[in-house]
Amino acid sequence: MNKPSRLKLSAPVLRRWGLGLLLALLVAALVFVVMRSGPLAPIRVTVQRAESTAVSPALFGIGTVEARRAYMIGPTTAGRVLRVVVDVGDRVKAGQLLAEMDPLDIDERAAALDASIARAGSAALAVQAQLEDALAKKELAAINARRYRDLAEQNFISTGALEAKLQEQTSADAGVSGANANLAAAREDMKRLAAERAGLQQQRDNVRLMSPADGVVISRDAEPGSTVVAGQAVLKLIEPATLWVKVRFDQGRSAGLAEGLRADIMLRSNPALPQAGQVARLEVVSDSVTEERIAQISFDRLPVGLSLGELAEVTVSLPATAPGLVVSNASVKRRGDKAGVWLANGSDVRFAPLRLGQTGLDGSVQVLDGLQAGDPVVVFSEKELTADSRIKIVDALTDTVASQKP
Amino acid sequence: MISLAGRDILHSWGKFVLTGVGLGLLIGVTLTMAGVYRGMVDDARMLLNNSRADLWVVQQDTQGPYAEASGIRDDVVRTILGMPGVARAANVTYLTMQVRSEATDVRAMVVGFETGQPGLPGAPGYLVAGRYITRSHYEAVADVKTGFALGERVRIRRHDYTVVGLTRRMVSSGGDPMVFIPLKDAQEAQFLKDNDAILNDRARTAANPSLNRPGVPGLLEAIQASQASNHNVNAVLVQLQPGFEAEAVAEPIRRWKHLAAFTRVQMEEILVAKLIATSAKQIAMFLVILAIVSAAIVAFIIYTMTLGKIREIAVLKLIGTRNRTIAGMILQQALGLGLIGFIVGKVAATFWAPIFPKYVLLEPADAARGLLAVMVICALASTLAIRAALKVDPAAAIGG
Amino acid sequence: MVEPGIRIEGLSKRYGEGSAAVDALKDVNMVVAPGEVVGLIGPSGSGKSTLLKCLGAVIEPTAGRMVLGGETIYDNGWKIPDLRALRRDRIGFVFQAPYLIPFLDVTDNVALLPMLAGRPNAEARARALELLNALDVGHRALAQPSELSGGEQQRVSIARALANRPPVILADEPTAPLDSERALAVVRILNQMAVQHQTAIIVVTHDEKIIPTFKRIYHIRDGRTVEEAGQGLSVQ
Repeated sequence: MNKPSRLKLSAPVLRRWGLGLLLALLVAALVFVVMRSGPLAPIRVTVQRAESTAVSPALFGIGTVEARRAYMIGPTTAGRVLRVVVDVGDRVKAGQLLAEMDPLDIDERAAALDASIARAGSAALAVQAQLEDALAKKELAAINARRYRDLAEQNFISTGALEAKLQEQTSADAGVSGANANLAAAREDMKRLAAERAGLQQQRDNVRLMSPADGVVISRDAEPGSTVVAGQAVLKLIEPATLWVKVRFDQGRSAGLAEGLRADIMLRSNPALPQAGQVARLEVVSDSVTEERIAQISFDRLPVGLSLGELAEVTVSLPATAPGLVVSNASVKRRGDKAGVWLANGSDVRFAPLRLGQTGLDGSVQVLDGLQAGDPVVVFSEKELTADSRIKIVDALTDTVASQKP
Repeated sequence: MISLAGRDILHSWGKFVLTGVGLGLLIGVTLTMAGVYRGMVDDARMLLNNSRADLWVVQQDTQGPYAEASGIRDDVVRTILGMPGVARAANVTYLTMQVRSEATDVRAMVVGFETGQPGLPGAPGYLVAGRYITRSHYEAVADVKTGFALGERVRIRRHDYTVVGLTRRMVSSGGDPMVFIPLKDAQEAQFLKDNDAILNDRARTAANPSLNRPGVPGLLEAIQASQASNHNVNAVLVQLQPGFEAEAVAEPIRRWKHLAAFTRVQMEEILVAKLIATSAKQIAMFLVILAIVSAAIVAFIIYTMTLGKIREIAVLKLIGTRNRTIAGMILQQALGLGLIGFIVGKVAATFWAPIFPKYVLLEPADAARGLLAVMVICALASTLAIRAALKVDPAAAIGG
Repeated sequence: MVEPGIRIEGLSKRYGEGSAAVDALKDVNMVVAPGEVVGLIGPSGSGKSTLLKCLGAVIEPTAGRMVLGGETIYDNGWKIPDLRALRRDRIGFVFQAPYLIPFLDVTDNVALLPMLAGRPNAEARARALELLNALDVGHRALAQPSELSGGEQQRVSIARALANRPPVILADEPTAPLDSERALAVVRILNQMAVQHQTAIIVVTHDEKIIPTFKRIYHIRDGRTVEEAGQGLSVQ
């Protein structure tokens, strides 16, 4: 059994080892690939320790700029527009003439009434003269009656003559009463006509549309010559000092909304410059169809160039909570009925139900119960976690983070 | 006894490895095609999983909301909430459209979901970055497949949205990434058109004398306002209380509410069986063709290798090597080639799978089946060469 | 009585049938004793190869009797069930060209047959090394066949033929590609091995350089053999 004395490492032996290595590498790559990706690999997650800070909750809603007071200027009866004095954008004062309706036959009817009033005056005068006449007759009758009574007592005249004079006195009294009544009637007639005249004057006045308050004309809806019905607006007016934002908040996220809270208003026309304001009024009636609460937010200082109907995004700040444990809302999950977070436990996870409090707009959620400070809370995960998931903690799951905006 | 096949492989290892790599790439393509199919099925399952619903309530006589368009009123959710067995119900809208950012323009499925309470069905279940939506408007959560970054502003229809959170594997059944926005914004996006169209509609309404009555002030404005609002959603997603069967809760909804209700099992069937069916058939055909091509290649290679050894085979037979030893050598070579090819293919497929635009899911069971198929194909392909080898006359070694 | 070595009696081989039949071998008789190296000489087409193929149990004769290493392998029909095992264990082949298996190293080429016969690898390799040393190619034991010279390859092939200690070696033109010095070396080795292992060796050749070395020669022409004494020149 002699082996050759020189046993050099010949090519085939090297080759054998080389190929064996290659095969081993290949198999290792296969195993690596199976364990790393695919269903056998552990789920990568990021973890954050629960910390104690304050949460600044805030409410967010969008709304439109509206006027608190808006006036629709129009006639009380159907008519035709005669002229419109102001145009859109004009500033008007209270009492200023804005537009005029066509008075039609009112002036003619006024003239007719005036003539009737004059006629009534004349009639009254005539009645007055009658009265004086009757009074004069009454006086005479009275004097005569007295004289004849005296004479009758001295039996200088017959009874018949006395009765005749007494009867004359009665007639004269009646005449006076009649004349008084006529006079009263004539006076009442005059009053009636005066009242009718006053009424017609009011109608005439109504034809002139006056501004009820200081404001700005925002729309001109009817031109001279158009017919409008009662209640239709010829002009619309607002008080620009009373512009506010009507904001809608999701009912589910409107806890804590109250009057007087400070608000930041970001107008669509100038989003870079938020305006300060506060909650002026909380509407009692909510929108049940869209499930929103409605609040009116007033500006501290009205910005220049505000337009009605402009969209605004409003953030109402609620008072900050007391410092307590806070988690990111990305970690809050729901299992069955309970909300809570997954806690990392080595390479396993455990669901911890929590009682949660307020949420801030930056996504931090107040934890009232169920968590200790420093607990490792799973924030981001590659897949949905279940109770028997295996995890692997990494620093970040993605590297596409442009700028973190809360 | 030494392994003749092993020695032969070691001796002409270059040729073998090269052939193995070539075959491996072919096998890699085959595995990837199977992965594409699995990916499509997984996309469909992901879609259903991610919506975290037990029941889908849609328009009657439709198979929506994914396979078919469906529209229902958005107050239907309230009546469903009142039905027995329903723990949570939420409105949801789906619309596939282009979402624009400064850099790119991505085709995405825009999902409108209820942001009021956390954990409602339809909302994304987990994030890989950022946070959930806290404002009721103009915030979005996007899937990483869109390429959007946190804080980026994207334009959906008429408004700009800020991306506040990122998700992973939230895709539609067609593989489009999802972008989640608040429901009201989505309703507006689905409904409101561009400014020109809106003005056109207003003009048409104003020109209609029965709608624009001078004697009824405010009528035209009221009509135009109602035209500009949308109260439709595509589906209501329902989560059941524990202990209730999906079918038991779905049946009364179907019967009494004039709606269609699908359980998870039914939705899976709709998506997988109907939506993916054509693609599945196509992929199956591809797999068959690839298998045939692989078999042909292996057969050819092994046959050529055997023919190159005809003289050695004759000598071996003459000096007394059994037929079955020779056949075994050829078979082992074929199987070895198949094994190398499979390993190369599996590793290659795993490394290039993420590059595909659609999700490719390589399951270990598929790999095992693939390995078995490769071994069987190689064994069958080697029969051609084995027949040739067995037919060799050992007397040919003795010349003349 | 059954004796070792080769004995052929009345061997005939007919190809084809009827009028187209060709008698390649007609009633061939041959005897080779163990330790003897006998030459088989004839022109091409004379039936040399056919005879070798019959002896090598590769083709079936038409009639006759063959006794190999003391065992009757053919008597108007094969008497051995496993011809392949026969070739492996009882007959060694040396060809015109070395025909080494290119993907086995020199030692494994030689050790292959014993391994096929079931010997453990270590024993087979040891045996191979021993033979290679005896043939003066032991220093190339781990080389690939392609690295050897023609002469070294031929010696390795001889070692292969001897590996299973067969009682018979059939050599078909073993010196055809060699020059005279190498050819005589081959003959010398064959003689040595024959004596050493008591092997009966038939060498088919028409190489003029080595014919004088045979003590006995069989001439074959048209399928018939004629025995003749050779010159028996010794080769050292």
